[in-house]
Parts: sequence; structure tokens; C-alpha cells
Amino acid sequence: MNMKTWVLACGAALLSLAALGGASWAGTVDRPVIPSAYSAPALYDLGNFYARAGRPAMAVLNYERARILAPTDPDIENNLSHVRESVGLPALHTSWLNRHIRLANPNALYWIGVLGFVITGATLLLRRAGAKFRALLAGGAAVGGLMMALSLGDAFATAPTLHEYVVMAETPARTSPTSAVDPLFTAPLADVVHMRDEHEGFALVRDTQGREGWVARRDLAPVIPRPDSPTDASALQEAPR
Amino acid sequence: MNTLRMTTVAVAAVASLMAGAMQVAEAASTQRIEPAQIEMGDSARLIIAASGSDASTISPPMVAGLEFVVAAQSQRIESINGVSSTSMTVTYQVIPQEAGVFTIPGAARGSAPVVLTVNPSNGRGATATGGSLPLAALQARASTLPAGSTRVSANGTAFVRLRLSKHELYVGETIPVDIQVGMRDGFVASLNGLPTLNGDAFTLNKLSSQPQRAEEIIDGRPYTVLTWHSALAAVKPGQLSLTVETPLTVRMRTAARPDAGVLDDGDIDDLFNDPTIQSFFGASTEKDITVASAPTAFTVLALPANDRPADFSGAVGNFSISSDVSDDKVVAGDPVTLRLRISGTGNFDRVTTPMLHDVDHWKTYSPTAKFTAEDDIGHRGEKTFEQPLIATQSGAQSLPALSFSWFDPSSRRYVVARTSPLNVAVTAGTPAFQGSSTAQGSSTASLTPASSQNGASPAGDRETRGLRPDEVITGGTTASLMPHYYQPAYVSVPSLLLAAFSGAWFWMRRREQITLAETARANQFPQTESLLASMDEARAAGDTTRFFQTARLALQVALASRWQVDPASISLADVEVRLGASSVTARVFKLADEAAYGGANLPPADFRWWKQLVLREIGNEAMS
Repeated sequence: MNMKTWVLACGAALLSLAALGGASWAGTVDRPVIPSAYSAPALYDLGNFYARAGRPAMAVLNYERARILAPTDPDIENNLSHVRESVGLPALHTSWLNRHIRLANPNALYWIGVLGFVITGATLLLRRAGAKFRALLAGGAAVGGLMMALSLGDAFATAPTLHEYVVMAETPARTSPTSAVDPLFTAPLADVVHMRDEHEGFALVRDTQGREGWVARRDLAPVIPRPDSPTDASALQEAPR
Repeated sequence: MNTLRMTTVAVAAVASLMAGAMQVAEAASTQRIEPAQIEMGDSARLIIAASGSDASTISPPMVAGLEFVVAAQSQRIESINGVSSTSMTVTYQVIPQEAGVFTIPGAARGSAPVVLTVNPSNGRGATATGGSLPLAALQARASTLPAGSTRVSANGTAFVRLRLSKHELYVGETIPVDIQVGMRDGFVASLNGLPTLNGDAFTLNKLSSQPQRAEEIIDGRPYTVLTWHSALAAVKPGQLSLTVETPLTVRMRTAARPDAGVLDDGDIDDLFNDPTIQSFFGASTEKDITVASAPTAFTVLALPANDRPADFSGAVGNFSISSDVSDDKVVAGDPVTLRLRISGTGNFDRVTTPMLHDVDHWKTYSPTAKFTAEDDIGHRGEKTFEQPLIATQSGAQSLPALSFSWFDPSSRRYVVARTSPLNVAVTAGTPAFQGSSTAQGSSTASLTPASSQNGASPAGDRETRGLRPDEVITGGTTASLMPHYYQPAYVSVPSLLLAAFSGAWFWMRRREQITLAETARANQFPQTESLLASMDEARAAGDTTRFFQTARLALQVALASRWQVDPASISLADVEVRLGASSVTARVFKLADEAAYGGANLPPADFRWWKQLVLREIGNEAMS
């Protein structure tokens, strides 16, 4: 097997690997909505359900989760803004990075990035091996690099979501993680806060107005569910309003 | 000792005088048992009331086959017109340890004996297996589980005891259990932890940090008994044994026991043995011990494999199910809540159901579950599953029947229960979220139960305005909302790609270097090729001397080109000066000399190795 053949075989194998992984997000259609599977429309509909039921925190939580999978969906953004306004929260603020980089489902962008990596690597190897059509290969490397940049940008834009929590009940925010001190302010219901630290049942959060304080951890629900955290609706008993 | 005896006599005399002063009222005592006839597993109450001089004569009854536990005690002293009267009432809980007819003698002076008939159990046992008893009744029943054997620790300071309703159970079946720790008053300094199971064949529900407290007389000695109510379950079948142990700190006597010959009285002797008294005189010390219960034998049966329903989730017990829907008249697009209630006794942690999915004309969401316990051990209660649904088509719609299966240990068979299908009238109309005031009323009327019970709040109404409609659920799903970028399994994919590309890059670079070296060597040292061929011939012949001499000549040719000298003029000394004594070239030169003068035999593998070294040196010279 000569060098070019080896490189092409390697590239083909990696592309197959990427395609195989991509099948997990392409998935099958119309699967039942079960707690272990998420889809943007199902989360959006669930958000609508809770919005109609007068449970804004649950509605915001599900809209935020839907927004992770479908960041450009105008319906999700509209309904999320609407529910936030209905409980007196400030208008939805979307960062520049989120508006311009988050163009699709992050998992799809992840695989686009992987594909870009494969294209870039394969074209550079082919150029190194002295293949013909060097300009075409350079163009391919540039396209691959662009795909990787898109994916990396999305990864950076998605990173803050890992620390975002929804306030499930109005909760006092204090200067230290104890109930013995007077509250600084009250974290409003359904607000999305950024968790910065955690200590013995308390969480240090920053709200959308930039205020920081320690709140009870049990009053927060993570936007991205974690295996060790009760996040399903049964554990979050938000009272209907 | 004489002084002590005189003091005791004096105290007794003073006590007699005081008692005499109190005996101005007429003495009387009564005793009754309620009920007079019980079954094994139940308990009766023995109520003893005494007044006047008889009040101080109440002592715990001692009847073989019956256990008496102090349940309540009260004393009343009255003084009317200078006339004092004392009355005392003591209530014992009588727990039978065997069936039969028992005569309980008068526990106070002058009280008449009573008769208690204990019938064999009719199989119902003391476990709450049916009916709907109030919580108080359940707690009372839980505390009257049949008494287990009491094995007091070797030093008589404490015991651990299990009370169980049955000793034969199925894997996964939960049964109520009382764990009792008895501590001799004054002898136990502290309880250092909750009782724990000894072994991995059983699981125990979490124990409360505040157990029930009672007094109990065993062999005439008072014990404080702490009782934890919990539920026990077996995790594997077989003939199993269970013990429970708990850590304690007890006070131990360090001084010699007083000579009983001087004070030959049980009470006074016990008084001297009391570590509290001994501690006062510095004659006791504390020691940490672990007290274990007597082994309790169980027969744990495996759940039968035959006739096991396909949707069986491991629930074992006695359950009943019912279902309803939050509203049977809705507007298409409005949400309704389907509820499934599963109530009864059993292992509710294994009570699960997938509810509905893939129902025509309905959009289904993931259900939620909530358990409401009706006792303090989570053995009896109700688990409610709620599932949001939205009708997608108007007309008379039907929600299919729900089913739930469990194993009933009393009948020893699987039970499959099904609810009836539910009919919902779905009318066409503008969904609430599109802003119609009429539709909003319909929406709030068909919200989840809490909303419909509380009525529509203004906030809830405001939220429904301006919402865009639901979407048809299509497309793929993902198992986790965590983006792939942050999942270790996916992070490894780019890492593997990077490693693969890096490996390919370096491999290609190495190949290019070798090719270049070969080309340079072929161009610069034409005679090297014939020398290398000669080395191969020497290797094949096993001629070490010729091999190294040829190798030295090949290296001399390569060096001569670089140093611009005659190849024959390059000596070992030149090489050691310019390349170092430990260089490969210097070593080849030395070996060539040694082989020429002393001879040498290289194994075949060494021939190959030395040739590769020589080739690399020649290649390096060519590159330089």
C-alpha cells in the first residue's frame, strides 16, 4: 500500500466514524417523548403547557432547554420572552456570540466541526504527499478550517449554558451561604441565573441584572439536566400561579 | 458496714413513718385486661389502679409466655381538709409470645387475677395488608409486631431486638420491622449510632433519628427501650439469617463487687452495682461495645418466572389502581392531565409505569410521579402518576386503558390490573394561547388539577396571551441536553483524529527523510552500494572480520567526502577526535580492528543491527 492510498483509507475510515456518530443525532423520527430523550419541539410544547398552566418557572426551564437544541427558533424565543415579561423579568438578552455563532443544534455543529477536522487533516496530508490539484486541496483545507471554527465558536457560545439555572421559587440571596444573615435581594421566579460556586446547600449566583448572592440550591433547576441533580418535573414542585 | 446498716434501717423507718402518715385514706386496688381475648400478633392492655397504701405495691407481673411493657403510668396525690390520698394507675402492654390461656396474678396488693386468652393467629398477622386504617391505627399496629427473642448482652447492659410480622417473604417484598435497642438505666452512657443490618442480603429503609422511647422490665431490671419503625426487604433468595447491631458506650465496674454477705438484699446489691453510684466513688469506666441481636432466620423466596407479565417492574405487595382525567370536555389544543393512582402496601420504590405514548389524536408528554405515604415507614400509601396530554383532533376521543402489574405475596401470584378507557369530548375551537377570551376560559378550566381547583389566576391568564402555538413533534431526539463538546466520549473523537493525523504526518516526514538520504547516498557515494552488498555477503557467510572491515571502508568513503581527504588516511584516532570515542563510527573502527586481530563471532541479529547503524551513519554523512 503506497502512502497516498494509506492517507485516503485513513480519511475514509475517519469519515465513516464521523458518519456513524452523526447517526445518533440524526436519530429516528417520531420517537415517544420519554424523560431520557429530548427534542426541541417536545420541550417547546412542554414549555407552552406549563405557561398555560400558570407555572412560569417550569415554562422558562423547558424553553431554555428547547433553545439549546434549536437556538434560532423564533417561536421559542417569542414564547420565552413572553413568559419572562409576564412575570416581570427584564427582556431576553442574547449575546453577540449567541446571535451570530449559534446557528444550529450544537450536536450537529459538533459533527460539522469533526468533519471539518477530517477534511483539513486529509487535505494537508495529501498536499504533503505531493498530490496534484494543490489549489483545490488548499481550498478544501480552508473550508475544513471554517467548519472547525464554526464548531469551536458554538462550543464557546454554549459554554455559559453549563452554569445556567432557573429560579424555581422566589428565593432570598444572601452575602454568605447561611440563612442566618439578612438577604441582599430576592432572586425572582423564573429568572435564569449563572451559578459561580456551591457550598453546603447554597449556590452563589449572578442574576440577569448582575447582582450576586447565595441562594438555596434546592430553589434552582439546571438548564442542562445532570445525572446527579433532580431536574424532572416531579422533583420541582412549582406552585401554579 | 455496721454504720451503713444502721443508716439503711433509719431511712426505712423514716419512710415507714411517712407512709403511715399517708395511709389515712382507704386502700383499694383493681386490675382489668382489655380485651380479654386476642390473637397471636395482637396485644392487650393490662390496667392496674391502686390507691392508698396499695398504690406503692404495684409491681410488674411475671407470667411465662407473656411480655409486659409499661405503656403509661400516672400518680395522683390529693389533700382534702387535711386528709391525704394517693392513687396510681399503671398500664402495661401485654404481648403474647405463645397461644394459650394465661392467668395474670394481681399486680397490686388486693387486686384480683385476670385471665387472657390468646388464640393462634388466623394468618392475618400483624402486618397491615389490607383495608384503609388511619395513621394512628397503623402506628399502633406497627408497634405490636410479634416480639422477637431478647438476648441481653453478656454484661447485662443492653440488648438489640427485632420485631417482625413474618419470616417468609419474597425477594423485593417489604415488610414492617421494629428495631428495638434496650439500654439498662444508668449502665449505658451513650448510643453511638443507629442500628445497622449485618449482611448484604437485606435492605432497610432509612431510620428516623428520633425513635420511640418506652420503659420495659426484663428479669426484674428496668430498661429504656428505643424503637425504630422501618421496612425490611430481601435482595436475594435462600435460607438467610439477619442480625442487627448498634454501637454503645457502657459504664463498666472496675472495683470489686461488695461482699453480698453483709448486705444480703437484692435491691441494695443492685444499688451497689449501679455504675452511676460507682462512678461517684470513682469505681467505673466507660467502654465502647457493639451489641447485636439474636440471629433471625428468614426464608426468602424468588419471584416465580412463570406467568410474569411483560410490564412487571418489580412491584411486590397488594395494590389497587384507578385513573381519571382532569377534564372530560376540552378544546382541541388545550392540555389535560391523565392521572393514574396506585395505592396499597408494598415496595413503592419499584412501582413505575410508562403511562401512554403513541396514542392516536393525542400528543403525549413525559409523566411525573409523586408518592404520598400513609404510614411512617413508606410501606403504605399512594403513588400518583400525572401525564400531560393534548388532544390534536376534535370529536369524541378516548384515552386507552392503563395497566399495572405486581406480585401479590399473599396469593403467591402475579396480578395485572387495568383501568377503564376514559372518554374525552374534544371540541374544535381557538386554542387559548391564540388570544381568544373564550378560549382562555376553556384553557384555564382544563388545566392541571391544582390550577383547576385554585381557579384561574390573573398571572396564568396573562401568560397564555401571545404564546405561539405548539409544534408538531418531528425530527430526532437526543439522549442528553449536554452538548457533545462537553461529553468526554465525544471529546475523545477529535483527540483520536488529531493523534491519527499527527502519526500520519510524522510517518510521511520520516519516509521523506529516508528517501532523501538514499538518494543522496546513491549520488554522492557510488562505491558505497557495492560495499553494502559486500557487507550482506559477509553477513550471509557469518564472516565477522570481513563484515566490519567492509563497514569501516564504507564509513571511510562517506567521511572522506565530507572531510575532503583520502579515505585510506582516516584512522580511528581521527574519528575519535572529530566524532568522539563513543560514536558509532569509532566503535565500528574498533570492532574492525579487534576482529582483524582477535577474531569474533556475531549472531545474525547483531549483523542486521550493525548494518542499520552503519547505514544511518552513511545517511547522516550524506545529509550533512
